[in-house]
Amino acid sequence: MRVLYIFAIILFFPLLLLQSTLVPLISIVGIIPDLILILLVYFTLRMGQIHGTVLGFIYGFLLDMITGNIFGSAMISKTISGFVTGYFYNENKLDFYFKSFVFSLIVLLSSTIDSFVFSFFSSVELEKSILLRFFEQGMFPGIYTAIISLVLVMFHPRRNPF
Amino acid sequence: MLRFISSVWWNFKEYLILILLLVISFISLSLNQNPAIKKVRAIAFGSFAASTAILSDIVNIAKVKSENERLREINAELMLHVNKLREYGVVNETLRKMIGLKDTLKYPLIPALTVSKSFTIAQGTITLNVGSDNGVKPGMPVINEKGLIGIIYATSKDYSIARTLKNFELKLVVKNERSRVDGILKWNGEDLVIVNVPKTYDIEPGDRIICSELSSIVSLPIPIGVVVGLQNVQTGIFNLVKIKPYADFSRTENVFVIGVIESKQKKDLELNFFKR
Repeated sequence: MRVLYIFAIILFFPLLLLQSTLVPLISIVGIIPDLILILLVYFTLRMGQIHGTVLGFIYGFLLDMITGNIFGSAMISKTISGFVTGYFYNENKLDFYFKSFVFSLIVLLSSTIDSFVFSFFSSVELEKSILLRFFEQGMFPGIYTAIISLVLVMFHPRRNPF
Repeated sequence: MLRFISSVWWNFKEYLILILLLVISFISLSLNQNPAIKKVRAIAFGSFAASTAILSDIVNIAKVKSENERLREINAELMLHVNKLREYGVVNETLRKMIGLKDTLKYPLIPALTVSKSFTIAQGTITLNVGSDNGVKPGMPVINEKGLIGIIYATSKDYSIARTLKNFELKLVVKNERSRVDGILKWNGEDLVIVNVPKTYDIEPGDRIICSELSSIVSLPIPIGVVVGLQNVQTGIFNLVKIKPYADFSRTENVFVIGVIESKQKKDLELNFFKR
């Protein structure tokens, strides 16, 4: 478990590097996929709900420290995402998750919640309806992130990499 | 009692951990303006920006060719503008001398490169490869060849973070260049809008919007965007003016930081006035 934590933290930094330099180049009308969330879902499915929640908190903390976000907004959204993803944790189903579209569906759910909660805590615009906000700031980034997570499904090694 | 606590912990530890972490996160939300937190964040993003700068250089090299073509085109257009402006400048200088006005056109520009971008829907920020060692300070405007990009929010030794106009925390006093009407510009998560504009104000689609001299953040006449439409026209007593920014924030690379924080001088003057 400790090794997984170390890998999860080590992988965070190169991925954030990609997230802040290359990923904006593939933005569609300002919507970008969240690579950090894919990493969070991956490790939560491997480590379980409690570790996923804690890892989400750590990722959020690092994101808030490094980027110019409101301090605490990513911490809340990533913690909740890690917690929700944790409900899918099942040691016997790991192979099934990582070699099928189920992984992307979990990413879709988790990313939608993450984006929606993040937008809720980082924006003061409450004039929009919740439903509209859910679609614009939750679903669309979630769908894009889920599509990008298919890359991981396609190239996931047959043997456990950790 | 211990057994009870133990059983609660074992039965609900997932929820207890979640609640604990959320409480810490909520406390963090209230610490945003804490100077110590700001300092630690400046060090954190400064260290990370050093590594993003390397990757960003590689990405930029790949885009140099298309960038060059675009710049040549802009260069040609600018050359024509400069010629025209030179003529105006000569006339202007003569006229200024005649009426004794002070020249206000000399602003120190600090060239910078965007090394990373954070484009969340509500909080657009960019990291620049210039910091306090280059004379950059929080509050300085960031521009490119098209117009205002944002405002420097935090600086480290070699890097700085700027909030773009697509950041809901940035609100600016702007002005309609044609009708000289002022308003407050902000990002609503979807559009740049000037809010609470009385319906009697003269604002029309196509009008250029620039920074207003009334602004305590940017009081230089930097172009921001163009009016594309009015909302709430049928209802209420105020209009919502939708603005299309000149600058494309997602493709911003080479920028300039204007090395002035005029607002400080202004504030000092205003405070002096009240202290008198």
